[in-house]
Amino acid sequence: MSLAPLAGAAAQAAPLVDPGTLLSTGGAVDGLQTAARVLAEGIGKAAVYFTIAVGLTLVFGLMGVLNFAHGAVAMVGAYLGGLVLVLFVGANTGTLATILVFFVALALVFAVTTAAGSAMEVALIRPIYDRTPTYQILLTFGVSLIIEEVARIVLTLRGIQPNPQWQAPMGTAPDVLLGRTELLGVGVRRLYLFEVAIGALVAVAVWAFLTKTLYGLYIRAGSEDTEMVQALGIDVRQAFTVVFGVGTGLAAVGGVLLMWDPIWGPSVLLSIDVLLYAFVVVIIGGLGSFTGTLVAAGIVGIADSVTTWLFTTGIVTFPGLSEVTIFLLLVVMLIIRPQGLYGVEEVGGH
Amino acid sequence: MTTLELDGVHTYYGESHILQGLSLSVEEGEIVALVGRNGVGKTTTLRTALGLTPPREGTVRFDGTDVTGMEPHEIAARGMGWVPEERRVFSHLTVAENLRVAAHSAADSDARIAEAYELFPALDRFSDKEAGDLSGGQQQMLAIARGMVGDNDLLLVDEPSEGLAPQIVEDVVEALRAASADTTMVLVEQNFRLAMDLADRFYLVDHGVVVEEGETAGVTSEDERIRRYLTA
Amino acid sequence: MAISDPDSGADADAPAGDTDAPAVETDAPVDEADPIPPSTATGGLREYLRDHAVHAAVIVGFVLYPLAYEALLATPAAPFAEAFLPAITFMVVVLYMGLFAMSFDFISGYTGYLSFGHAAFYGTGAYFVVLAANGQIPGVPGGTPFMITLLLGAVVAGLLALVIGSVSFRLTGVYFAMITLGFAQVIYELIRSWGYVSTNPTEGATVSGDALAIGVPFVDALSLDVGRLTGESVENLLGLGIDLSTTVVSYYALGIVVVVCYFAMQRILHSPFGRVMIAIRENEERARAVGYPTYRFKLAAFAISGFFGAIAGGVFAAYSRSVAPDGTFYFLVTADALITTIIGGFGTLAGPVFGTLFTQGLEDVLSTESGGVATLLREGLPESVLQADLFGISLELFVNTAVDGRAPLYLGIIFVLFVLFVPNGILGTLRDRLGGTVGKRLPDHLRRYLR
Repeated sequence: MSLAPLAGAAAQAAPLVDPGTLLSTGGAVDGLQTAARVLAEGIGKAAVYFTIAVGLTLVFGLMGVLNFAHGAVAMVGAYLGGLVLVLFVGANTGTLATILVFFVALALVFAVTTAAGSAMEVALIRPIYDRTPTYQILLTFGVSLIIEEVARIVLTLRGIQPNPQWQAPMGTAPDVLLGRTELLGVGVRRLYLFEVAIGALVAVAVWAFLTKTLYGLYIRAGSEDTEMVQALGIDVRQAFTVVFGVGTGLAAVGGVLLMWDPIWGPSVLLSIDVLLYAFVVVIIGGLGSFTGTLVAAGIVGIADSVTTWLFTTGIVTFPGLSEVTIFLLLVVMLIIRPQGLYGVEEVGGH
Repeated sequence: MTTLELDGVHTYYGESHILQGLSLSVEEGEIVALVGRNGVGKTTTLRTALGLTPPREGTVRFDGTDVTGMEPHEIAARGMGWVPEERRVFSHLTVAENLRVAAHSAADSDARIAEAYELFPALDRFSDKEAGDLSGGQQQMLAIARGMVGDNDLLLVDEPSEGLAPQIVEDVVEALRAASADTTMVLVEQNFRLAMDLADRFYLVDHGVVVEEGETAGVTSEDERIRRYLTA
Repeated sequence: MAISDPDSGADADAPAGDTDAPAVETDAPVDEADPIPPSTATGGLREYLRDHAVHAAVIVGFVLYPLAYEALLATPAAPFAEAFLPAITFMVVVLYMGLFAMSFDFISGYTGYLSFGHAAFYGTGAYFVVLAANGQIPGVPGGTPFMITLLLGAVVAGLLALVIGSVSFRLTGVYFAMITLGFAQVIYELIRSWGYVSTNPTEGATVSGDALAIGVPFVDALSLDVGRLTGESVENLLGLGIDLSTTVVSYYALGIVVVVCYFAMQRILHSPFGRVMIAIRENEERARAVGYPTYRFKLAAFAISGFFGAIAGGVFAAYSRSVAPDGTFYFLVTADALITTIIGGFGTLAGPVFGTLFTQGLEDVLSTESGGVATLLREGLPESVLQADLFGISLELFVNTAVDGRAPLYLGIIFVLFVLFVPNGILGTLRDRLGGTVGKRLPDHLRRYLR
């Protein structure tokens, strides 16, 4: 098996803050502005972290299955989304049309991967529910290996390098998103604003699904007590299939969102990166908790932007600061509060 | 008409043989109590009826249909409700949501929920509160209401008085009486007097089989044939 | 979550043998048997030998393999041998990865706690010997023999396991897996950015001095230098006309370490200590209820497992003479051990070795490094067939992309099939079939057929 290096977020990160501005930093106003900018970028990153993690937590919450194929699906989502954009966006495509294509890609990719995820649940996971959770971890991990290799084969056949990122779709990002917007006196990257918008859209959609639909109600009830839900006459297995499908679809939506982000971008390495960071977020938030995932994404996003800022300004010279901090957050949370911020104690023990 | 019939059921938890050929039948409209010491298989009897712990041998018939081996949700959807031990309300769902999950299959779910609120005014008052924040007695009311709104012909009620203050127990008994007006009921209850008070008939269970049965009228725990099974 | 064991707790004795290990025809089944203390000198010895017959057969198989492989290459069957039998370079990987997978299985398969950060120990062992060889470990002078630095590194890893374990063993199931993964990732990120290691820590470090030797420290005659370029080679071994390349010598040297470690771990698993480990896996509550301080047992088992994981990393580093964060501390290194353990047999000590043999064999067959199916097809098939066009893709392109170097794909598929249909792995299933550990049961079965 090949050992893929972790494409660490900060390692490839373009400087988040213009070094020129930093040198002139001084005085209370500048300090405040810096803080505001770091915060804004943290929220942008948080939106990304939330989007890649929410499907994972949904699946674990109901089914107790830690889906190790989550990252691989996100990777596929990034490529499929990229494919749609490359096919339909040309040099003359306007900004609005490009964004429209982006949403079409989002919807298409979600539909395709949701169907594929449901099929996978029926064919592969359903037969092993009666085994210990270890086997579900192993199975989904095996599936992720297969997805990654198939991706490599398809990419090689199409003459695309699996690594580093596939540049073509990243080039389709409209110019508008590459600039900055003055917000409260702070220049914020528009790409971050876009990511926040998409993240918010996903959050609202998932929240509405969970709270406003009967199916969402089953899922929330099932997350607490599957047996009781069955005893109320609800076919929980069918709910499992739907939720696994939706969780898979959400992973792919996360991938589509990463496609334009220079820190991530479509590459096969995305698979393991997304998986590890999604784990951190869902565990800090509490496995299975929607609110927890939202809050944890905020914490991880801001920790990421603060540590990245500390490094880019030279205050800390250790290049791995961001990654170390994020994984330390995971470890510390597991030590002081294993169930996470919003988790229920019993979950995961089963 | 016979609502529930268990015929020679053998049920296991792993290797432990819990029900060892238990048989009982429940007629439409009656309240039947299952009594006996801890660990003799009363809860397992209810779980076997609902298919949660399916029997390895024997048959379970519900409303005349053989439901042995069916999925729990299929049996439940045929009109069997469960008010489990320790209540098991969905603590992160609001009271209203708890009832909505349970009423999903009823054609007139809103009307049935409204009926339940009428019966349990406390639930109406706290309908937007998370069920986990309710008191033990209120949670028990919610569990009973949840069993009622599902349009069930049979309600399996497990230890409804457990862990509740005497004053609250009286309310719960009233609630169960009200519920029994609509449905047949099987009641597992530690409190012998309460069980005899509520039920029409009883089955005394010991070591996974029925050892005694009869009308509840006039039966007390001092009765010799009963006492020897209830004292350790 | 206690990992339910492949072969129900009924036979509480440890690991067992193997099947005909794939692609190694010289390999006979193995096993270990219950070490029954020899009561009388002769009877005990015979008993002992009988119990270890399968062990001995496997070891002999491994010893003879390089010679048989070289011999085959001189025959007309050479292209097929090259294509389908693992080259010695791959067999060396089988040794150190097999040992690492065994150490992973020691804790994960026997106590039921999935050590998802096991790469931390492998990495510690590997980095320790490299840094020690370069004189970068305070208190360890540059010329310290490798065997000593290997043990020191393993002790350090054992201590690291105690530290990680002390907080992690308060958790179970998914949470234990995640916290150990978290620790390993923190260390990985630290190592790949730590300038002390080398000028380019992302790329790792290299041994700058002489070859590292496995054997008795300070006694040249009883030591073997290892490494593909720096190791010893032997010409005309014992006057038998057999030449051994540096790779083959390294293979034997590493093999000695692996055998010693295997028997050490096997011994521990068969001791009362090992029985408590299995009791913890089967039912930790009960183990605690009958009075075992399970936390301390788990911690000790974890330290032992970390110790042997570091030995695996150390011999890997001595052989390859360079270490990189991605090949040592990274999550995917643990994943490799996990895959081979599942294929070989979770909760069987020898299983991971055969799992590694299986995966490395597959890797060899599908790579072109030392012959392989792709090479065989390219050289064996006529040009017209290779260029035949199917849906716009020529067979040659298909071979290049879907066969050559695609071991991970097929490994993934095989792994999923194992999880679904052979959850007990090769060895576990074999043991179920035979009704006991392979070492104990196989001789009886063979005798029945031979009679």
